[in-house]
Amino acid sequence: MEYAQAVPLKYAIDPDECIYLQKGKCGNCKDVCPADAIDYEQKEIKKTLNVGSIILSSGFTPFDPSKFDNYQYAMYPNVVTSMEFERILSASGPTHGHVLTRPKSSKKKDAENVKAPKKIAWLQCVGSRDMNRCDNAHCSSVCCMYAIKEAVIAKEHVGDDLDCTIFFMDMRTHGKDFERYYDAAREKHGIRFERSRIHTITEVPGTNDLSVRYANEKGELRNEVFDMIVLSIGLESSKQNIALANKLGLDLTPQNFCKTSTFEPVATSREGIFVCGAFQGPKDIPQSVVDASAAADAAGAILAQARNTLTRSPEVVPETNVIGERPRIGVFVCRCGSNIAGIVDVVAVAEYASKLPYVEFSTDNLYACSQDTQDNMVQLIKEKNLNRIVVAACTPKTHEPLFQETLLNSGLNKYLFEMANIRNHDSWVHKNNPELATNKAKDLVRSAVSKVALAAPLAEAELEVNQTAMVIGGGISGITTAKSLAMQGFHTHLIERSGQLGGQALNLYHTASNEDVQEKLSAMIQDIEQNKKITIHLNTELSSVEGFVGNFKTTLSSKRKKKVLEHGVAVIATGAVPFQPNEYCFGQDSRIITSLDLDKKFMDNDPILQDLVNAVFIQCVGSREPDHPYCSRVCCTHSVHNALELKKRNPKMNVYILYRDIRTYGEREILYKEARAAGVIFIRYSVNQKPGVVLSDGKILVTATDHVLDRPVEIEADLLTLASSIIPYKDEKLAKFFKVPMNDDGFFVERHAKLGPSEFATAGVFLCGLAHYPKPIDESIAQGQAAASRSVTLLSQKTIHTSGTVAKVNPAICSSCGVCLSICPYSAPSFLDAKARMFRGKAQINPVLCKGCGLCVASCRSGALHLQGFDNDQIFSQIFALSEAG
Amino acid sequence: MLAYINKIKEISDRLLKEQKVDLIIGFRKGTIPMMNEPCFVKTSSDVKNLVWDSNCGINLANYLTNRKEKIGVIAKGCDSRNIVTHIIENKISREQLVIIGVPCKGMIDRRKVAAAADCEVTEVLEQADVIVVKGPGIEKTIKKADVLQDNCAICIHRNPVINDEMVAGPVEEQKGVDRYEDVRKVEAMSPEEKWNYFEELLSPCIRCYACRNACPLCYCPTCFVDESKPQWVGKTLDTIDTRTFHFLRAYHCAGRCTDCGSCTRACPMGIDVRAFTKKLEKDALELFGWEAGMSVDERPTLDTFKPDDPDKFIK
Amino acid sequence: MSDWEPKIVSFLCNWCSYGAADLTGVSRMQYPPNIRIVRIPCTGRMSPKFALAALREGADAVWVSG
Repeated sequence: MEYAQAVPLKYAIDPDECIYLQKGKCGNCKDVCPADAIDYEQKEIKKTLNVGSIILSSGFTPFDPSKFDNYQYAMYPNVVTSMEFERILSASGPTHGHVLTRPKSSKKKDAENVKAPKKIAWLQCVGSRDMNRCDNAHCSSVCCMYAIKEAVIAKEHVGDDLDCTIFFMDMRTHGKDFERYYDAAREKHGIRFERSRIHTITEVPGTNDLSVRYANEKGELRNEVFDMIVLSIGLESSKQNIALANKLGLDLTPQNFCKTSTFEPVATSREGIFVCGAFQGPKDIPQSVVDASAAADAAGAILAQARNTLTRSPEVVPETNVIGERPRIGVFVCRCGSNIAGIVDVVAVAEYASKLPYVEFSTDNLYACSQDTQDNMVQLIKEKNLNRIVVAACTPKTHEPLFQETLLNSGLNKYLFEMANIRNHDSWVHKNNPELATNKAKDLVRSAVSKVALAAPLAEAELEVNQTAMVIGGGISGITTAKSLAMQGFHTHLIERSGQLGGQALNLYHTASNEDVQEKLSAMIQDIEQNKKITIHLNTELSSVEGFVGNFKTTLSSKRKKKVLEHGVAVIATGAVPFQPNEYCFGQDSRIITSLDLDKKFMDNDPILQDLVNAVFIQCVGSREPDHPYCSRVCCTHSVHNALELKKRNPKMNVYILYRDIRTYGEREILYKEARAAGVIFIRYSVNQKPGVVLSDGKILVTATDHVLDRPVEIEADLLTLASSIIPYKDEKLAKFFKVPMNDDGFFVERHAKLGPSEFATAGVFLCGLAHYPKPIDESIAQGQAAASRSVTLLSQKTIHTSGTVAKVNPAICSSCGVCLSICPYSAPSFLDAKARMFRGKAQINPVLCKGCGLCVASCRSGALHLQGFDNDQIFSQIFALSEAG
Repeated sequence: MLAYINKIKEISDRLLKEQKVDLIIGFRKGTIPMMNEPCFVKTSSDVKNLVWDSNCGINLANYLTNRKEKIGVIAKGCDSRNIVTHIIENKISREQLVIIGVPCKGMIDRRKVAAAADCEVTEVLEQADVIVVKGPGIEKTIKKADVLQDNCAICIHRNPVINDEMVAGPVEEQKGVDRYEDVRKVEAMSPEEKWNYFEELLSPCIRCYACRNACPLCYCPTCFVDESKPQWVGKTLDTIDTRTFHFLRAYHCAGRCTDCGSCTRACPMGIDVRAFTKKLEKDALELFGWEAGMSVDERPTLDTFKPDDPDKFIK
Repeated sequence: MSDWEPKIVSFLCNWCSYGAADLTGVSRMQYPPNIRIVRIPCTGRMSPKFALAALREGADAVWVSG
């Protein structure tokens, strides 16, 4: 087993190490395995699968820094990679999460030299943005952020006095909420950021401490000693990836990532084969998850016809009504081979259980989860007329569904079940204390029995899903979602508040990879206008939304009329707007423009562009500042690309980019390299010393301090382009309609920053595009596809089943105070309206939206809320049972 | 403050006559000194019964719960904050109310007066800053400031935060008041000292629930102490049960309590019930910057989640 | 009293801490056996009443994690 979280959690034999397989001797494992699970005869089998589509998600390989002799990673024990440092920070890692230096060897003397470090440095861009010592010209996108994270966590583990320094070139925290994290790391956690690329690490003689010599930003030479240095290693394509691509005949980029295009971000060069994750290019978790959903969508679109053609339905055993019956509890105590029985006296536990109140039957099993035990359990439930079951075994996290299945097969409601965790929480963790472990097992069984006695059969509501989708926002991501949904076979309504589809993409000239945006966009629009499954509503806004997942009722209003639309899911793709700058003399001279204005000039082939002598760009206008404390993600690439375009039109033109950090993440870095090669001049400024712009005698004078010379420079600009930020609409009304949250900046907050980037916590509502966070076209399209893909997980089911463990209101006791409505993250509670026959104004829970967390139940002062399956009396009975003498 | 009554009567009379309200909730003279009682005035002819002096400590928000009529309610600073909480928690709607705001200089504590008089008090006369206490054969003049209710002495919201009519211009708010001296004292105690302190504090409790009944926050149809499935608290005078009742009630008031002092005022055994609620009031202020009942637009702090909520206590 | 051991009742969130306690077992980490775990669906379910009930029923400590 490679790691403890492996799924499935099963052991496998390593054939290279197995003595039996290598030499034909030993065979111990087969002798001792009581389940008879060892099979030495298993051979590699070749299978041919007939598939309609292939998705490649084969990831990346971390850069191996041992080839860099200047860092001596292989020789110095305290030079570690960021991946190794992740393990050092991990509670299940080699040091159990204690940050310690590494011993030189496993010898005792060396092991004693291990200490808690006081000073740790991170070196960025190891194996990234480096053509000198390796061939990785790209930026790995994720290292800046993970280095900051590791530094912050290291300080949490070691204590505030740990000195953490990050040596970097450009700090690239371009993801959602990343800039805030960077600010907090610097200001709140006291992490030092040093803009310098370290050339060499040497060991301090006689110790394993590490010394580095570097020039700081002011050009002063410094020597500094660290206890530990973490190399922030980059991401690159593995040899296997390259081989796979060759085998499949796929094009790769010069950096050996899978080649895709801006407008089809997950499609490889071969039809039907899609790619997601870091094989497509270096990227972080949220973007990988977006890509994954997008790839699923792309594959789903071509396979829509075949949906549900290979599915089979299981046979359903009719449910026995046990309401009103006295509890007749069956207890099954599992030996789990020797996993439990080796420590806990299983026979004594079963014997003990048989004497507990309401227990009709108890036994022990070698493996409660084995097929024959399951069949036997069904028989026993029927024979002994049992109506509640307790299994004392491993853990409900993995095995509850299996045993619930058994209950269903015997005609019992699956909520008449409880597990006692006597393996993971008992025999495995108390192996030196068999007697106390046995007592604990008895306690846990007693607690489970007392709880299950109070269990009631719970119903899982069934709800029909309206098969129509509504997409709000006709920008590039909304168009993509609508198209994807239609291709997957679902009728889609696309709502656009303006009179034209296209959104902000209408203002863009070329993509970073030189595709003509207008040409592609009009093709996309034409495509959906002709699609019979898509209804486009222009000049239309939402005036009210009722209902919930599967059954929304939205009132649309346009100039002429109101219309009610019924739909099963909603996708919010409402976009964002460009910030209108309020500094740098913007608005006072027609030659001071925004990036989008420049794009317009390119599109119009404005003659002014030909004769420019000096063109200046100022970055971060309205980004990374107190009013908009986030990075707008796209502006660096946009300006660099536009600078190149200007150079292309007139190579003699002087082009200056005034920036804070250039954030051309991923393979966009190549563009930055090209720009420097083409002679674009990059001048860095700091937020405390912003460039000055004055208008004087019809001239635009831009002043800045050159960061290399530390001297002021003045440029007379013929064109000054301000890379202004992207700001959200802050659409409070929409947020209220769908009960979805917004962050402080006004972007919508997704279900989970990493794992649920394209959906909301509120079921049936999805998210994509700039409304989520600023992003370029390829990422908007990928997220548009992802939102469609997530929607299809609902739409492809005709009905949804709710869980039985949901909250329920006793309206007679409810005091209508509204705490539950306020605190529920899923918008499940509401007040009964005036039409209700009884209990008007009292709370009710929508079981479809309820996730069963119990927040409302614990918060209800009146005790009107109950969480079925975890009700107060059940938890109390557990507490009381635990206090009884074992 | 004594001059307010004319204005109160004038406004009440007008509201009733113009049928803007169905009733006025105010105070009338009680049967024993220093015990003004809440009253419902439904006709203009009864307006004459209304009184106002420093014995109007009862929180009138408590009488608004779930009423259906249009009501004119007289509100001190603390009452007004509880009215706000009532509106937020759907106990009454803003439209039903005409709030007659009374700037307040503090209510007197009848126990303090009785203690100062040191004999049976038969009559209490109030003047601007003093009260004259009469008993069998004695007459004593006491400074009002010396016998204020504890919560009034440290009050920083004497003016109503919400109103439709005001009986007078605002009074000056007290500045530089140390609101939590007593709480800090308890916080500084060792666990044993704390245990003894609360044991001592609660020992007289007879579980009459007067504190709960006087509290405008305690409006649940069935209080947890009265529930039987599950039975959260035993019904005896067992110290564990009594403790559980007071602790849980305080938690139910956390982030909602305005320190109006009704609980302490109502306790027949003289227990300082505020000792519990004040700690949580202090925590709500220090951890979440929250003062209850200041705005109808914001739900109590414990009903909401903000990403920057403090979380140090989790570690 | 040196052999006195506290009785600890813990309320663990199904999604994180309960799973972590499972993982502790999978990793075979060892800890004293005087802790009893009650699984709750989320620490949001935790009510002060549970803590009080456990304490009055004889627990020496209550641990909530999630």
